[in-house]
Amino acid sequence: MRRPLQVTLLVLSGLGLLHASLFTDLCLRYVKPGMRPLLIASGFVLLVLGIVEAAARERRGDRDEQGRHGARTHGAGPHNPPEHTHGHEPHPRDDDGHGTGHHGHDHAAVPRVAWLLLLPALSLLFYAPPALGAYTAARQPAKVIAEQDGFDPLPKTSPLPITLTDFTTRVQQDRSLAIKARTVEMSGLVTPVPGGGSWDLTRIIISCCAADAQSVKVRVYSSSIPPANTWVSVTGNWHPGGKLGTRSAPVALDAQTVKRIQRPSNGYQDALPFPSR
Amino acid sequence: MRRTDELAVGAETAAVVGLPADGHPADAGTEDPPPPDPPRFWPLLLVAAAVLPGTALFLVGQGVSKAALQAWQTVCLAVIVQATPFLLLGTALSGAINAFVPERVFTRLLPRRPALAVPVAGVAGVVLPGCECASVPVANSLIGRGVTPAAAFAFLLSAPAINPVVLTATAIAFPGTPLMVLARLLASLVTAAVMGWLWLWLGREEWLRPAVRHTGHQPGHHRWTEFRRAFQHDFLQAGGFLVIGAMAAATFNVAVPRSVLDTFSGSPWLSVLFLAALAIILAVCSEADAFVASSLTGFSPTARLAFMVVGPMVDLKLIALQAGTFGRAFAARFSAATTVVAVLCSVLVGGVLL
Repeated sequence: MRRPLQVTLLVLSGLGLLHASLFTDLCLRYVKPGMRPLLIASGFVLLVLGIVEAAARERRGDRDEQGRHGARTHGAGPHNPPEHTHGHEPHPRDDDGHGTGHHGHDHAAVPRVAWLLLLPALSLLFYAPPALGAYTAARQPAKVIAEQDGFDPLPKTSPLPITLTDFTTRVQQDRSLAIKARTVEMSGLVTPVPGGGSWDLTRIIISCCAADAQSVKVRVYSSSIPPANTWVSVTGNWHPGGKLGTRSAPVALDAQTVKRIQRPSNGYQDALPFPSR
Repeated sequence: MRRTDELAVGAETAAVVGLPADGHPADAGTEDPPPPDPPRFWPLLLVAAAVLPGTALFLVGQGVSKAALQAWQTVCLAVIVQATPFLLLGTALSGAINAFVPERVFTRLLPRRPALAVPVAGVAGVVLPGCECASVPVANSLIGRGVTPAAAFAFLLSAPAINPVVLTATAIAFPGTPLMVLARLLASLVTAAVMGWLWLWLGREEWLRPAVRHTGHQPGHHRWTEFRRAFQHDFLQAGGFLVIGAMAAATFNVAVPRSVLDTFSGSPWLSVLFLAALAIILAVCSEADAFVASSLTGFSPTARLAFMVVGPMVDLKLIALQAGTFGRAFAARFSAATTVVAVLCSVLVGGVLL
C-alpha cells in the first residue's frame, strides 16, 4: 500500500472517530458514554499519526524517488520475508539524518486488508446507522430480572415514575402488592407485537457496546398502537392477571395516556422517564 | 463438537467477508507467491467497489429487511468503535517494545527454560491494562524480540483477563461474590499456562507465519521514527482484521437471535457450553464482559465464569486478529484448542470455588 493511502486511512479514521465522539454524540448509539474520552483521544492520535506521516513524506521530497520505488516493489505484499533491503539502498542517509522506513523496511508494507478500515471511517463520517431498536428487541426474550429480597414502600407521587426493570420486579416479586392500583409512568421505545391490540414498551440495555444489547419489555394495552421505534412516555395501571407478586402476574400495563417523546441521550439505559409537563 | 463447528463457520464467514475488498484471501499462509506489483490490485478494488453495493442490494431484495441490515451495521460499527482505543494502545505498546526495548531485557527477565517461562509470562500479563485487541500485537512483538512463542502465547491469553482493570471491573460487576474474581483469575491463568505448555508439546513453528515484521532497533535509524512506523503499520493491519472480525460477529449477532440460543439455558452443562459460545459470538471487550456476564441472570455461576474466561481468549474478532498477525493455520488450531481448555478450566475452577 502506498504512503498517501496510509495517510488517507489514518486521517479518515481519526476524523471519523472525532466526528462521532467530539463534534456529535453519534458514538452513544454504539458504546457507553464512558468510552467517549477514549474515543476522542484515539481520534486525535490517529489524526496526528496521519499528519506526521504526511509531513515526513513531504520532507523526504522527490530526491529519494528511486529508493522509494525500490522499497515499494519489495514492500507491496503483506508476507515479505524479514530479509529486506537494509544496506542495499542507494540513500543511506535522509536529508534530515533520520533513517526513515522507506529503506525497504517492512513497516512500509501495509497489507491490503487495511483498506477495510475505510468502511467504518466513512460510515461514521457520512452514514451512521441508527441506534438499535424494535428489530433487535423483537427477536430477543426479555432480560431475566434478578431476584430482589426487600421492597421499600413506593413514593406517594402520582403518576409514579418508574423504570421498566423496577416495574417488572414489583409486579412479579413484591408480595406487599404495593404496585396495585397505582398509576405509573414509564418511557421507552415501541416494539410491535404480532397479533395486535398491544405492543411492548421496550428499553434496550447495553453493558459494553451495542453487540451485547439486552432488552426489558412491558406489554402495553392501549386503544391505538404507535409506530415501531418511536419513543413514548406511558402512564397507566397494572394490567390485572395471574397472581400479583408472583411469576404468574403479567408484566403489562393498561395505558391511560401515550405521549411521543424525543429519544433521551441515555437511551441505552433503563432510566426513569424525564419529568413530564 | 458444536463449538468447534461454530468456530469453523466463523472462520469461513471471516474469509468470505474478507474476499470482496481484498481481491484474494487476506493471508494465504506460507506458500505465498512473490508479491504482485502495486497496480495490479487497483482493478480488483474497482471490481470490489462495483460488486459490493450490488451484492448488498441483492441481499436486501432477497428478504434481508432494512431493519436487519441496519442492526447489522450498528453492531458491526459498535464492535469496531469499542475496540479501536484498545487496539491503538496495544499497537503503540508493540511499537514501543520493538523500538525501545533491547532484546536482552526479555532474555534476562524470563527463565531460560521455556517450560518455566510459560507460567512466568502468564503472570506477567498483569502488567498490560488493556483488552484482548491490545494483547495480540504486543505478543507478536514479543516473539519478534526473541521471546519463545509458548511464553508469548501464555501472555497473549492471560493479559486481557487478569490485568487490574479487568479484575476491578469484575469485582464491581459481581458485588458480594469476591470468589468470582478469584475464580476468574485462577481459571484464566491456568488456561494460559496449559495452552503455553501445549504449544511446547505439540506446537509447530510452521503454523506461524514466517514473516516476523518486528526487527527491533536498527543502527542508524531514529528510534522515534521506528516506533511511529511500527505503530502505524500494526494499527492499519490489525484494524483491517478487526473490521473482518466485527463483520463476522455482527452477522452471527443478527442472524442467530438470542431467543434461539436461550433454549440451552435450562441444563447446567449445556448452559456452560452456551455461554462459552455466546462469548465467542458476541466479541465483547474483556474490560466490560464482566458486566455482560453479571447481567446474564438465570445462568449458573460456573457458566458465567466460562463466559468471562473464554471471552478474552477466543472470540470472532480475536480470531480474525490472530489470523492476520500469526497466520490462519495458527489461528484455527490455537482458537479451537483454547476454547476446549478454557471451558474445562472454568468448569473445574467453578466447580471447586463457586
